[in-house]
Amino acid sequence: MVYARTLGSTTYTFQVSGRLWRNSLIMMDRETGTSWSQITGRAIDGRHRGTQLEKLEAIETSWEEWSKAHPETKLLKKSEEVLSSHYQSYFDDPEKLGLFRAQWLAERMPGKALVYGAAIGAHAVAVTEGALDDQVVAALLGDTPVVLARARDGGVRAFVARVEGEEFGLSRNPKTGEVTDAGGSAWDLGSGRCTSGPRSGLRLESVAVTPVYWFAWSGFYPNTQVID
Amino acid sequence: MRLPIVSLGVVLLAFNAVTHASPPAPKVVATIGGEDVFQLLPVGAIPAIDDPEYVSGADAELQMQAEEPVLGVVIGGEARAYSLWQLDAHEIVNDEISGTAIAATW
Repeated sequence: MVYARTLGSTTYTFQVSGRLWRNSLIMMDRETGTSWSQITGRAIDGRHRGTQLEKLEAIETSWEEWSKAHPETKLLKKSEEVLSSHYQSYFDDPEKLGLFRAQWLAERMPGKALVYGAAIGAHAVAVTEGALDDQVVAALLGDTPVVLARARDGGVRAFVARVEGEEFGLSRNPKTGEVTDAGGSAWDLGSGRCTSGPRSGLRLESVAVTPVYWFAWSGFYPNTQVID
Repeated sequence: MRLPIVSLGVVLLAFNAVTHASPPAPKVVATIGGEDVFQLLPVGAIPAIDDPEYVSGADAELQMQAEEPVLGVVIGGEARAYSLWQLDAHEIVNDEISGTAIAATW
């Protein structure tokens, strides 16, 4: 997750609080000691309680796919060699969940299932990896129609499927991979831009996507929709 | 098969605590929204990165493996990648991209 760390005219720096809430990281800003949930970006305790950090679009993908899509990318320099995750055994073990009162709706899917979560206010959806295979997934978050898809750079993104008050569905051609709406406009679901057709030049509003384990997502959004 | 890449700054903290030399017992320090807040490590025990440095091009290739997972973000046309294996040990990078101050978290 990536957040803007300026509120009003003040820029804050965040540190790791060493605390967990709902089995997930609490960030703490150095300036006020406010506690912020990493999953939602919302301040849960301290001076800024109730304040929401702006979540910025970011994706998780492999270095190979990222550097191909962004050859000019800068990379955070490593001060020492890092050859694998410290947590490989954790990722590999389906029984290892959060430490405390891991809450998940086990009848819906295993706690360790990877889902892509998107939320607007209290309305949330979790989409499984399998549901995204070569498809555009549609969901309704409250009154807002949303589409989720994996773009060419490997990242999963979500957009509001509505422009200028008009709602529409999107589908992906299984052969060419091209995404179009019923009116024949083609859309790039990396940028959200319409690249050709009647809606050419228009752009979809993006919705932040959180790749996350099911047990963590369902702890924050117990009423989440599931698309699998 | 696609890499399992999961945003887990999250639970990783718990396992940092477990592998810590002498882990203090998790202590309930607050209750928020009916759910306990556990203190597993002292504040800042996992050091966030405040003064990021970068490499690019061939130097970046030397530091990375093809399948290595990254957190990628583009702001104002400027692309930035963070190795998630590297972020395991830091969890937060206080950074700036194209004039926007950001916190990249894992």
